[in-house]
Amino acid sequence: MTDETTAVILAAGEGRRLEPLTNRRPKPMLPIADRPLLEYVLEAVADAGIEHVVFVVGYERDRIQTHFGDGDDWGVEIEYAVQETQLGTGHAVLQAEPFVDGPFLVLNGDRIIEPSAVESVRRTLGSASEGSGSDEIAMAVSRSPTPSEYGVVTVENELVVDLIEKPEHEPPSELINAGVYGFTPDVFEAIRATPTSADGEQSITAAIAGAIEDGAVRAVRYDGLWLDVTHLWDLLSVTGRMLDRSGGGIEGSVAESATVATATHLAAGARVGPNATVGRGATIADNASVGANAVVERSVIFPDATIGPGAVVRDCVVGANATVGANATVPGGDATVIVEGNVHEDVRLGGVVGDNAHVGGGAVLAPGAILYDEVDVAPGASASGTVEQGTQIRRG
Amino acid sequence: MCGIVGYNGAQRALPLVTEGLQNLEYRGYDSAGVALSPDERGESDGELDVYKRSGEVSALLDALPESADQRRGIGHTRWSTHGPPTDANAHPHTDCTGDVAVVHNGIVENYDELKAELEAAGHEFTSETDTEVVPHLIETALADGKSPKAAVQWAVGRLEGSFAVVATMAGVDALFATRQDSPLVVGYGDDGAFVASDVTAFLEHTREVTYLADGDLAILGASDGQHAGDVRIERDGEHIEPERETLDWEADAAEKGGYDHYMLKEIHEQPSALRQALSGRVDPDAGTVDLDLELPAEYVGSLEEVQFVAAGTSNYAARYAAELVEELADVRATVEIASEYEFDGGRDPWRTLVVAVTQSGETADTLAAIRKASRAGARTMAVTNTLGSTVTREVDDSLFIRAGPEIGVAATKTFCSQVATMTMLSVALGRQRGTLSSDRASEVLSDLRGLPGAVQQVLDRTDAVEEVALELADSDAFFFVGRWLGHPVALEGALKLKEISYDHAEGFAAGELKHGPLALVTPETPVLAVLTEGSRPEQTLNNVKEAQAREAPVIGASSGDSAGQYLDVEWPVPDAGLLEPLITNVYWQLFAYYVADSKGRSIDKPRNLAKSVTVE
Repeated sequence: MTDETTAVILAAGEGRRLEPLTNRRPKPMLPIADRPLLEYVLEAVADAGIEHVVFVVGYERDRIQTHFGDGDDWGVEIEYAVQETQLGTGHAVLQAEPFVDGPFLVLNGDRIIEPSAVESVRRTLGSASEGSGSDEIAMAVSRSPTPSEYGVVTVENELVVDLIEKPEHEPPSELINAGVYGFTPDVFEAIRATPTSADGEQSITAAIAGAIEDGAVRAVRYDGLWLDVTHLWDLLSVTGRMLDRSGGGIEGSVAESATVATATHLAAGARVGPNATVGRGATIADNASVGANAVVERSVIFPDATIGPGAVVRDCVVGANATVGANATVPGGDATVIVEGNVHEDVRLGGVVGDNAHVGGGAVLAPGAILYDEVDVAPGASASGTVEQGTQIRRG
Repeated sequence: MCGIVGYNGAQRALPLVTEGLQNLEYRGYDSAGVALSPDERGESDGELDVYKRSGEVSALLDALPESADQRRGIGHTRWSTHGPPTDANAHPHTDCTGDVAVVHNGIVENYDELKAELEAAGHEFTSETDTEVVPHLIETALADGKSPKAAVQWAVGRLEGSFAVVATMAGVDALFATRQDSPLVVGYGDDGAFVASDVTAFLEHTREVTYLADGDLAILGASDGQHAGDVRIERDGEHIEPERETLDWEADAAEKGGYDHYMLKEIHEQPSALRQALSGRVDPDAGTVDLDLELPAEYVGSLEEVQFVAAGTSNYAARYAAELVEELADVRATVEIASEYEFDGGRDPWRTLVVAVTQSGETADTLAAIRKASRAGARTMAVTNTLGSTVTREVDDSLFIRAGPEIGVAATKTFCSQVATMTMLSVALGRQRGTLSSDRASEVLSDLRGLPGAVQQVLDRTDAVEEVALELADSDAFFFVGRWLGHPVALEGALKLKEISYDHAEGFAAGELKHGPLALVTPETPVLAVLTEGSRPEQTLNNVKEAQAREAPVIGASSGDSAGQYLDVEWPVPDAGLLEPLITNVYWQLFAYYVADSKGRSIDKPRNLAKSVTVE
């Protein structure tokens, strides 16, 4: 089934909480099983039969454009609207205005959803715009075990009657805004009429507050897959879930004596050396290599990265073109990690090796170590905590 | 020269032909035209409709009707060789009656003679092109009572030179296509047949194709009771069933996808193109390369020379490769400009490998050179981006660079992939000859594997390059210098800049600066120097100081930490051994792009240039 509806996908965000992985790529380009988050969103949209897609891009947009081109590989036509400065989701939607004609959908480019979310919002939008006013809005709502991290909604008679962003107190419900909206072009005027917030942003949710009061926002219940990567460690758990669902796939070259578990993904140009072990939940991207006798488990290895012979890499993210030297160890396990001043206890994160960083032979990363881009850890040294870009860590 | 497209089938021909022309515009674009042939199904007065205009295809589009009913048409984009770009000189060309229309790519060498003969017989010519003799020859044959097919064959038989010709005639249900030394490919659509000089013309409609061989005649359409979409191919007068190939290129892999220019898109595609080039071919741990070549061991062992032939950017890639072949395979390597090539004396053809480097596989100069080498008895190899291209059918071995389609006229990712692929060739030759240790091979292959990541690091610094480019864009001239592997990169850097920005740019071996060019260096002439491993940076630094003493702004790409104090701008290059100059080239590409962009140049289609140069 195809139709004329346009899907606007917001992909201009930077994702600061995911540094250092978002220093050189926007959050929607973070890979889950070797495919960007944004690709899952695009596929859900394409599978729902939508052919015309607008990506709102900004931060590091080259990465998105180079990967998706004009969308031919996904059977859709992609146009790019550029949001030069990040002034909120509402402002992002405004950038798509010249590309939109008639009712349209808006999705977040960094949340994995299923096509049914897209289909049902579109269906509701269709019936709404035929029915009452042209200012009707449809919003997918989903249940979350941690609603307070999102926009919590209250639904009465299939209408959204309240929306509170990240409530500090007991959330009124477990229902959250799933970030899939159906709008008519009237929403552009509503966004323009919305005052910018104290931090200079215009959000979608602020723009539709009036519509919620007027009872014009229809709730579309969605109980399918809804995965968000908020923190670095989510990258590992979300990858694990997606690999469990898909079973993974092995395309790269694997030495005969190596062991590769199911629910792993090896890209076509990846290489796994003799006697190496690639365990469940691991992803090895294109042109990355795992040396002889190395062990990689529940880890995401980015393109062009090198895991040296005998290295042990567990619960770890190894950035693009990074190197983990021979016999280096990332033992993995639970850690306490501080992100933007917030303490997160007992998160399962062995470590993060930023893009182009180098971990010397025999070096050790304490659980939760986060090495920014181009950090150089000397052979035999150990690293822990957050290490700023370009730092050299000597043995001592 | 240029691009040809033709269609015969159930669909309306006009949109298919114009779309094909737009896709072919990169081949040349100083004029364009379309001829539509009457069809009993449409409203028609029984005559051909011909539209043509000088300028880009968009100028032609303005002159075309919004729609037309004809189901059969031919089109052409022209890059002038005979006669300036005018409406009259644009193709298609017609005969005196207006019933025969022809599009042509190539050069009719004996056209003076034929034109004189035809004029003496009363034919009137309306253009200055060599092509126009073809429709008049067909007219003559038809008047003699020959069948349309026989008339085309007779006319083409009179031509000397290189050509791809497609002809249509009023009242004849078929298109006729034939070639000699110019590319032509037939595409089998669902309800119609295509013919074009390049598959990009019709890739959106079919990927099932047959590349015509020299002398083949393809008849597209309904003659002899065939269906309009049928194709009959004759070779030496016999009906043949040629091989059909299925292409795996995505038609729209060639769309700009959010970038302002194909060139910038292609620059950014280099990491993934390089991964493709390497995929499954190298084993850095073992120090081995598998290029799927079938060079006999005795032959490789007895090689005395590897001779590269190439033109333009491919020539510079070949120069880089020749240095690597000497360094890694310990065999003499030379590079010839394709148009200057002769299989000269002093060479043993049985101990010479001649390697043609051509992105398109259709470069006329390079094809001519490789034929000379073949005739002399040398083994030949092609390094190309285009499966099924003419060169691959002329050589003993083909090596594909897997860069994917490149549309920007200025080559970027194909240079990078050419050098990477030929680095693998150098290692393969060295290992097979036993002249390269497995240690050293392993080292070079590790550097190769690191290349995509290293290039990405340069791309991550795009903003810094743009800033410098904007600052220096209005300089009087730009000089690129480098030694050893940095020399071809200096030449390529200068070529890129002059191609797309129209500024005066020159590349020199750094040591040559003081032997003359230094006289040109002023505070208004930036010098861009390759100061990485593989380019003898310490020596080049001395030349940099010479330029700096004349107050020229100096930009250096360097992998060490000692050069910075002598440079006005330093761009870091990641460690990659002999491949560091190749990584430097990505800085030069970005620099050229942003200088040209700041001046609003037609970056993807620079004036006077065509992507695939199919004339000698």
